[in-house]
Amino acid sequence: MVHYKMIFKRRDFLKYIASLTSAIPPLPSIFSIADKTVFAKETGNRVVITKRPGVFSSPTIVSPEIVNSMLSDGICLLTGCKTPEDAWRSLFKLNERIGIKINSLGGRKICTHPELAYGVAKHLTNIGIRPDNIIIFDRLTNELKRAGYKIQKNSSSVNCFGTDSDYELTPEFSGTIGTCFSRILTQNCDAIISIPVLKDHDLSGVSLSLKNFYGVIHNPNKYHDNGCDPFIADLNCHPFIKNKLRLVIIDAITGQYNGGPAFKSQWAWPYSGLILGRDPVAVDLVGSRVIEQKRKQNGLPTLKEAGREPIHIQSAAKRKLGTGNLNKIEVLEL
Amino acid sequence: MNHQPPDITRRDFVRAASCSICLTGTSGLCSALKKMLRPSIAHASNPPEHGSVKEVMYYKKLEGLKIECGICPKKCRISDLERGYCGNKENRGGTYYSLVHSRPCAIHVDPVEKKPLFHYLPSTMAFSIATAGCNFECRFCQNWRIAQYRPEQIQSSFTPPEKIIRMSIEKNAPTIAYTYSEPVVFYGYMFDCAKMGRLKGVGSIMISNGFINEKPLAELCKYLTAVKIDLKGFTDKFYKDQCSGELEPVLNTLRVLKRTGIWFEIVVLIIPTLNDSPAEIKNMCRWIAENLGKDVPLHFSRFHPMYKIRNLPPTPLKTLETCLAIAANAGLHYVYLGNIPGHPAESTYCPGCSRVVIRRIGYSIVENKIREGKCSECGHPIPGVWKQPGSLAL
Repeated sequence: MVHYKMIFKRRDFLKYIASLTSAIPPLPSIFSIADKTVFAKETGNRVVITKRPGVFSSPTIVSPEIVNSMLSDGICLLTGCKTPEDAWRSLFKLNERIGIKINSLGGRKICTHPELAYGVAKHLTNIGIRPDNIIIFDRLTNELKRAGYKIQKNSSSVNCFGTDSDYELTPEFSGTIGTCFSRILTQNCDAIISIPVLKDHDLSGVSLSLKNFYGVIHNPNKYHDNGCDPFIADLNCHPFIKNKLRLVIIDAITGQYNGGPAFKSQWAWPYSGLILGRDPVAVDLVGSRVIEQKRKQNGLPTLKEAGREPIHIQSAAKRKLGTGNLNKIEVLEL
Repeated sequence: MNHQPPDITRRDFVRAASCSICLTGTSGLCSALKKMLRPSIAHASNPPEHGSVKEVMYYKKLEGLKIECGICPKKCRISDLERGYCGNKENRGGTYYSLVHSRPCAIHVDPVEKKPLFHYLPSTMAFSIATAGCNFECRFCQNWRIAQYRPEQIQSSFTPPEKIIRMSIEKNAPTIAYTYSEPVVFYGYMFDCAKMGRLKGVGSIMISNGFINEKPLAELCKYLTAVKIDLKGFTDKFYKDQCSGELEPVLNTLRVLKRTGIWFEIVVLIIPTLNDSPAEIKNMCRWIAENLGKDVPLHFSRFHPMYKIRNLPPTPLKTLETCLAIAANAGLHYVYLGNIPGHPAESTYCPGCSRVVIRRIGYSIVENKIREGKCSECGHPIPGVWKQPGSLAL
């Protein structure tokens, strides 16, 4: 397979989509989801960066319309599908229950934007997935509230609530990890979309998709030693995560390149982007490079020099959770 | 004794007790008795808001809004919005807060023998409390559903120290026990209860893994009346691999307790193949005899499969009896077996005349022949706390 990096302009993107129309044989009118899933798997190590400087309608307000457009373009480019609907259908079955794991720890200023999480939910309902089969969730209901989410439980619309105390009663094991998983993950979801935030982390170097799953276990504080390694990688090997994770979208609308996980205004910047992929290792590697570049631009030492190289990403690659070599990742920027 | 009526009703107490989680200690009775003595486990459907946060007593502020915790030897360095290993303290903007002060998740009245403390006010009750969290993660944790959980994951009720003291008085419990999980991680709450309890004539006992820094320990001992230390094993490898801890700081705690003069007893949970080698037990007993003296009570307790170790059988009786023999050969005077109801080694024997001075069956005292701290038969002194210390007399 040829691996390459491309920088797409919007015009290039439209051309690319147009070329797909001619290059890809027309799909049968009643297509097989399974066939489309196979098709999507061919783009498994692709990572798409969509950036829109205009995503902020004011310094602190994000435009849902532009977020929606970023999502539409990004998901098409990621999957190689012509329309967003086809793209989402290539990833999810209509009768699946889908969990959207966000990161709300840092409060409103450095969390997964509600506009993005609800935007993803809207895309899913657009293809016919029932709203009440979609759950936006994180560790705590209170943290979700603080991050601006509207709590909905047992609702006919999109649900949104925290695990709180609802963990499995017996521990599961995965390498060095022994933990009780959130029952939202184990009982309520067939598939997971992980939407972390592009940010630095004091212990693990970065807190992206792999680290995001510390929010589904009952004892994350027991796995902070040695830069959270190999704990993060071992956790992501568990079938509850490995077999359910279908899509990663890093919310890089606002990034933070130092001082995480709490919000620190002096190190936050409007990256105005999303980073999408199906391979959590590849996405995290690309995300960590964005953070490293920003640190360099601002005269900060590399994460390695700062004593917190995100070694968990390579540990995850060694466990075959994804591609840990940038040269083998197809990065498309839009 | 302060006879001021408590500001909680009997109904409040029953409610608090019923919503608590009270789990068995590292030693105890047969399962039937355990069931009798523990209330049901309750998981919160709506975890409480933790509005009662209180600043932690021992920590250092560092650059960049970080802090270093000074309570236990882990010395967690914690960034803003993060928690320490114990999971119940949080850095908020450079100030370190306990999320469990006045927030017990377990409240129960136990015989003091259940802790176990065998040389401390026999036949009395201990008003026992715990909060979420622990600074170890023992793979065999017997109380993991509170010790290994974070505060939001289990139900708790707002119960400030003054209420704890009043409840213990109402229940005729001369002692408050900080137990079940790990009191070192709710140090501030324990400290405030113990200090207030002393003023009101109520004693305080800490049931702990002993993984605490010397300075907070010494300060706390001014207000405690006894301590029980769980010595998990006698190799650093065991502490590291099975508990995420270290041996030496625990040994140092035992030395400090000895130096302080406070009454303390030691419990060792014997786990088949992991910490039951005769050589290890021999080293442990020799160390205790040489460093702490031969009068320190030592309890060997039977393991039951729990938490992350579910593939090992309960400790064979023979193994425990081997431990008993090794300890006796090392010259230790008071060696007990726990979690073996009805075993002769539940009772206390006089080192002078070898007669039984306290006969126990499980947590029940059948016979007590200690008079004024001495064997009633031969007059040999039996060390311990046999009556409420003068300054604490109710």
